[in-house]
Amino acid sequence: MLVTLLKIDNIDFSYPGAKILEDVTFEMKSGEFLGIMGPNGSGKTTLLRCLSNALSPQIGTVLIDGKDIQRLSKKEIARNIGVVPQTSSVDFAFAVSELVLMGRTPHTERFKSETTHDFEIAEEAMRLTNILHLSERTFDELSGGERQRVIIARALAQEPKILLLDEATVHLDISSKFEILNLVRNLSKQREIIVIAVFHDLNLAAQYSDKLILLDNGKIASMGLPHEVLTPENIQKTYHIDVIVKQHPITNTPYVTPCPFAKNSEDGKGHTVHMICGGGSGSNIMRLLLDNGFKVTTGVLNVLDSDFVTAKNLKIPVIGEIPFSQITNDSHKANIKLIKKANFVVVTDFQIGAGNLKNIEAAEFALDSKVPVIVIDSTPISDKDFIGGDLEKHFNQLREHQAIFVKNPKMALNIILKEAAT
Amino acid sequence: MFKIDFEKKRIKRKLILASLFCALIFTIIIVTMIGTMGPLGGQGVPEKIPFKAVLDVLSGKGYLWPDVYETIILDIRLPRILLAVLVGCALAVSGTTMQGLFKNPMADPFLIGLAPGAAVGASFSILLGISISISIYSTPFFASVGAMLTVFAVYIIARSSGKIRVETLLLTGIAVGSFLTAVMSFMMYMAGQQFRFMFFWMLGGLYRASWEVVVIAFPVIILGVIIIQLFARDLNAITLGEEPATHLGIDVEMVKKILLIFSSLIAGVAVAFTGIIGFVGLIIPHMMRILVGPDHRILLPVSALAGGIFLVWADTVARTVLSPTEIPVGIITALCGAPFFIYLLQKNKKGRFVSHAT
Repeated sequence: MLVTLLKIDNIDFSYPGAKILEDVTFEMKSGEFLGIMGPNGSGKTTLLRCLSNALSPQIGTVLIDGKDIQRLSKKEIARNIGVVPQTSSVDFAFAVSELVLMGRTPHTERFKSETTHDFEIAEEAMRLTNILHLSERTFDELSGGERQRVIIARALAQEPKILLLDEATVHLDISSKFEILNLVRNLSKQREIIVIAVFHDLNLAAQYSDKLILLDNGKIASMGLPHEVLTPENIQKTYHIDVIVKQHPITNTPYVTPCPFAKNSEDGKGHTVHMICGGGSGSNIMRLLLDNGFKVTTGVLNVLDSDFVTAKNLKIPVIGEIPFSQITNDSHKANIKLIKKANFVVVTDFQIGAGNLKNIEAAEFALDSKVPVIVIDSTPISDKDFIGGDLEKHFNQLREHQAIFVKNPKMALNIILKEAAT
Repeated sequence: MFKIDFEKKRIKRKLILASLFCALIFTIIIVTMIGTMGPLGGQGVPEKIPFKAVLDVLSGKGYLWPDVYETIILDIRLPRILLAVLVGCALAVSGTTMQGLFKNPMADPFLIGLAPGAAVGASFSILLGISISISIYSTPFFASVGAMLTVFAVYIIARSSGKIRVETLLLTGIAVGSFLTAVMSFMMYMAGQQFRFMFFWMLGGLYRASWEVVVIAFPVIILGVIIIQLFARDLNAITLGEEPATHLGIDVEMVKKILLIFSSLIAGVAVAFTGIIGFVGLIIPHMMRILVGPDHRILLPVSALAGGIFLVWADTVARTVLSPTEIPVGIITALCGAPFFIYLLQKNKKGRFVSHAT
């Protein structure tokens, strides 16, 4: 199959009084899947409409195999480019098969009707999109996902070299989203189609795109491989929110989790709470404390612990330890140092083994130096004892030294808030 | 399998088209026999022309019968029936096109101000008395000028930077239409003696039919219908929306222009000779869409034939039911059309004017 080249050369587009796109330049070749992202009003849809020749950029050109799209006839453009919009409505009762067959319009001459070849292409498009069984149904009887498949089939019947998707999965439920995107991605690989898709969902964009473009105010803010584009810094710059970027556990693509801080109150008055936690048991409380205006420190945590990752993402001072080893004396000392500075210490519900037993000792140290300690104790002690039954002894010691035992994180937070208020 | 389904569909469509064509021919022959001869026949006693006589006259053997039969059949009934066919066809095709273009079930040929424009033109000629003094064609002439000027004005007003938005066109049509209706009402108010003529014109009727009229209307309407038919596929695409149609390679602005011009032209010619005959352009497209589905490649010709058949029968009722007095055919079409339309609305209460394609 011939390789198609799509070249977008330095395009500018403005509406009267408003510049929408500026200096947009990129290139694509057959079989590539490009995701375009950006905040509302950043010019994503306008860019797509320039590519489909629905709008003409004032400066710059869109070239398909070296040919300026503006010099192609409308029919030629339709033979090269198929478009799948966000939603479609069909006001007349066309059968699905008729709608798909309309995709052959740019290949059919005015005085002729469809040939056997046209029927074969349309049927193949319906097979690929798995809508052959819907052939005689009308559009308004179909679900959202089925409708998009019909529209994709119609676009495929055009035998396009380029397929443009304008937020084509926004209104679909999660399974239909994946179904449609899997379909499109397979098509782009099997049929060597260039796919350009506008995304709102950064994670879907990362999972399906070979390359990503992040638009901001009509300019390309970042372009490249998903992990190059989807960084917390880029996202902060364009969307103005804090995010955590992890790796998707299966696809290894970047996975973006927004963490918008909603500071509820300043009741914490800047008091410091030191967290002794592990295994994810502390993450939620760290955020709750930050939201209420406390400063938070934590340790000692091994660097693979999810609480460690959370602390890093929340920019909380944390004492880290290499994985699968006991807490070293240096780490322990650093931890003690943090505890000395803290106004409160919270011990969460986590599993204690030989490796992290020192953290319980640290809690005992806190009590000795008159730092109030709150222990969240909601699971039976035998479930978290990995030191052969001695944990109960340690816990009793904490009780004797006036540690406050509570049933859940919320109660712990209430106690700290009350204490902080006095 | 897929292709076979479509072949079946095509054959079915061809059958429907052929049967409607036969029905039209049959209608013409039957209807030629219907009606009294009034004063031309026996003194005061209505007399019917025998079936055999009609067939003989139509097949050129009229000499076997009294001359008056030939005159009535060939010079009075036949041109009137053929004009009814042409006008019904024009209104139905124009209505189908407008409904497709505007994606609006209430669209009809008069949507963008055609009817009040024609009415003002016609009223003008009647008021000035030139309808009688100069030529029998002056009222049709003024009516068509009024209609064309109105459509042109609406088009120019609704256009912005070379593009026509159908929503704007529709609203402009309503605004201009209301204005012209007011002008016409004023003219009627001031008309005095001529009021009856103006009112009669507005109700529509085929009483003006003659071979000359048929000869003028025929080429214009047939040409318009053929050109619209050539753009049937484009019209299909446009019903999906203008942007999707563009993505299918349709030059939407150009197609809109052509369809607007020719559907207004054929409706304008129809209105010029027969006044405002309502409901044909509204209900025939709906009925035919139920019968053959929304594909304009079949819907347009089927509507053309059905429109012709419908108007011929409506006119036959109009000229016979109170014979020798004639009722304006617009009253008959509205009497049949309005209840039928309400029935359709009840049936498709969901608000969509769609129905199952066959």
